[in-house]
Amino acid sequence: MTFRDAATYDHPPFSTDACLKCNVCTTVCPVARVTDAFPGPKYVGPQAQRFRAGNDTLPLHAPDVTVDWCSGCGICTRACPAGVLIAETNNRARAAIVSERGSSLRNRLISDTDLLARVGVPFAPVANLTLTNPIFRTVLERTIGIHRRAPIHPFARRTFADRWQRRTRREANGGSAAPVDPGPDRAVVYFVGCAANAWEPEVAETAVEVLERNGLSVIVAGGQACCGLPFMSNGLYDHARRKARRNIDALVAYARRGYRIVGTSTSCTHALKAEYREMLDIDDPRARAVADATWDIMELLADLFERGRLNTDFGPIDEPLPYHAPCQLRSHGIGTPALDLLRMVPGLSVIDSDHDCCGAAGTYGLKREKWQIAQDVGQPLFDRVRASGAARAACDSETCRWQIEASSGVPTRHPIEILAESYRRFEPTVMTV
Amino acid sequence: MPTYDVVVIGAGLAGLSAACELAESGARTFVAGHGMAATHWAHGGVDVAAPPGVATSREGLEALRLIDGHPYAMLADDVEPAVAAHLRRLDVAALGYRGDLDTPLTAIPTAIGGRRQVAIVPAAQSAAARAWQPDERLLVLGITGFKDFWAPYMAHNLARTWTSGGPAGVEADVVELPDLAAAHNLSPMTLATLFDDPTWRGRAFRALGAVAPRLGAWRVAMPAVLGVSRHADVHAAVQQILGHRVFEVATVPPSVPGLRLFEVLRRRLLERGGQIQIGFPIVSVERRGRMIQALHTEAASRTHRLAADHFILATGGIAGGGIRADPDGRLHESVLGLPVEAPPRAAWFSPDVGPHPLEAAGIRTDASLRPIDVEGAPLLDNVHVIGSTLAGMRYLSERCGDGVALASARRAVLEIGAASAPPVEAEPASISLPAADAPVEASA
Repeated sequence: MTFRDAATYDHPPFSTDACLKCNVCTTVCPVARVTDAFPGPKYVGPQAQRFRAGNDTLPLHAPDVTVDWCSGCGICTRACPAGVLIAETNNRARAAIVSERGSSLRNRLISDTDLLARVGVPFAPVANLTLTNPIFRTVLERTIGIHRRAPIHPFARRTFADRWQRRTRREANGGSAAPVDPGPDRAVVYFVGCAANAWEPEVAETAVEVLERNGLSVIVAGGQACCGLPFMSNGLYDHARRKARRNIDALVAYARRGYRIVGTSTSCTHALKAEYREMLDIDDPRARAVADATWDIMELLADLFERGRLNTDFGPIDEPLPYHAPCQLRSHGIGTPALDLLRMVPGLSVIDSDHDCCGAAGTYGLKREKWQIAQDVGQPLFDRVRASGAARAACDSETCRWQIEASSGVPTRHPIEILAESYRRFEPTVMTV
Repeated sequence: MPTYDVVVIGAGLAGLSAACELAESGARTFVAGHGMAATHWAHGGVDVAAPPGVATSREGLEALRLIDGHPYAMLADDVEPAVAAHLRRLDVAALGYRGDLDTPLTAIPTAIGGRRQVAIVPAAQSAAARAWQPDERLLVLGITGFKDFWAPYMAHNLARTWTSGGPAGVEADVVELPDLAAAHNLSPMTLATLFDDPTWRGRAFRALGAVAPRLGAWRVAMPAVLGVSRHADVHAAVQQILGHRVFEVATVPPSVPGLRLFEVLRRRLLERGGQIQIGFPIVSVERRGRMIQALHTEAASRTHRLAADHFILATGGIAGGGIRADPDGRLHESVLGLPVEAPPRAAWFSPDVGPHPLEAAGIRTDASLRPIDVEGAPLLDNVHVIGSTLAGMRYLSERCGDGVALASARRAVLEIGAASAPPVEAEPASISLPAADAPVEASA
């Protein structure tokens, strides 16, 4: 690559050459705003990058470890007037540190959500009781460094995969099985993600319900795993690549046949769309096919609306609803489709949180040394949610929901759950009081 | 999701004020910004016209409108109403400004101890422009650990160069603010956010009280970090505590006064039902003949489509990224590929900076701000070009950037209102203006 090659600037570390040192990124960084530990995106990104060699003869030495205080929200990248991929560069810099110096047991544990699910779900009643025990949490904090007050969502008693299998079997027995391959116009492929599988299967089931109400049957592709984002956020790129390849293997055939891949977590769908390429350098035609086919569920519904194909039989929900657009959603570059859709629900008074980040940033807010920062970043949001007097709030990403719920005390749901409720209220036969 | 009436490309002063005016008139308006814009780089004041040798902005405006090809040649009559509407918008949001086109231009100190000509400034900077009493001295008050504002350096340069018409003396001091003694990474934004916090602010005020000059007449210069959302209150309280007039000095970028301005305009736009997304660079354009039908912005995968009846190009000039140079020595307009009026490449490297030949590079338009080719034929019918993207203005040497931004924004909105004539009652941007100092009327 040469500097004349425009593509050079799409490669995160090289994009830093366009930095004007204007410091706009520092003004928008939610972490730099609340802690002196983090010098801000410019210093750990375009500045420090000049000291990271990273060519074939020199290893990617990381001179400055303060980059680890970056939460990865990505707001800096979007604010940069020169198009520098700041957050992506910083994420890679952290991975270089991890590959040089290794990772902690904690970071490897909290990143391995598939493993946690395998262990936690079968023992959910016991595990959940243990995880709410203050003595155990104090021990957990002292031993491996998970903050005792960090929100840990209870395991589901049955995974979505398990529930889905039962449903498929039931339908097969009842003779009402959906056609195996209804075609990409009438079906979508659901990428479940670890959270909707093991922690919030109700979100996954609600998503299926809403898709079916819109005349789309749902295919749950076999072989899928966690998207790998937790590993990426913790600099464990090799682990993340294994997850990425597994997911691409599971999804690529559908993508190539024209199916749309839909996810309910804006974090997972962003990983499939962009981060495999931008962080993990997985940039082959298969990965591209998957990226191009991937949709956030709200983005998909908004697209149906635009093409006049959305079921708009929304029943009334008379309440105020604070909505927070997660930082990961903003990185999609699709606006705020959930906000547009929720505003179609009669009676619902949607309040845009207008706040950059809840602080949790995936696993960041779990960590003993970062918990307080995560709280401080999200504080104005928690205050606003509480001040709204609403009985519940809405947000598209799981760890944000858990953070908002734990810190504001207001139950926080996925927007799809609100939409599903609205659909149900429209139909008198299913209406419950 | 919907098709918009107007998509504004660029979220600087020009783009945001056009968008506010459109949203206020009921137009469905969407602002797509590549990133945060020049507001965050600038001092927050309104530079209308201060070419060398003029006494007021009005004089400057009259001089510039006579220059062939200058945007003011076609926009001069829009300047005063546009500036008034802008200041009223800020005033409603408690971001007060002082001055108008007839305020004498005065040279006020900059953060590196230079001086710049101003007339219309944020209220918190206005004390800098007052005439100096014979025995009145200037204290430059920095903050310990805050590297973006170096008080002794600023004071030294001012004392050296400000030999007449200025303070009787210049001194520097620094104040240590609570909890910051060991801070390594103080940014203007960190400090401004702290000043918004009532608890911390109370403690900071006590520290400031301890360094207040006691004897004699003083004026105090402080870095522009006195709050964001509670700025007016913070500034008033600091003046009271120090017992002297205090003026803010915009720091080297990022600029908190610019950020306050951006925030007020952004919120105004949202309140009026407009939308804004930052981090939405345009990657492709759908065009039919002389009409743009839609723009596509970069997204994580695929692109995001923005369809509209009208488009406003407010992407800035060379600094803002609206005009870019390629390695082969050509300037190109970065979104629509419009022809750029520019001096030959040899002139790019001219040592002459007053004005520099490259300053006037930009897009040539007709009187309604639609882009034209070298023969003067219109290139696009539903695109209006505003702000620093326009050819013929010399932002640096004429200090006319904000005036051109506001006036061209107003003109573009009027043109769009006239073009989409039928049902819209009157023209959407018709602003019946009270005198600049008249009380703001609550809208019925």
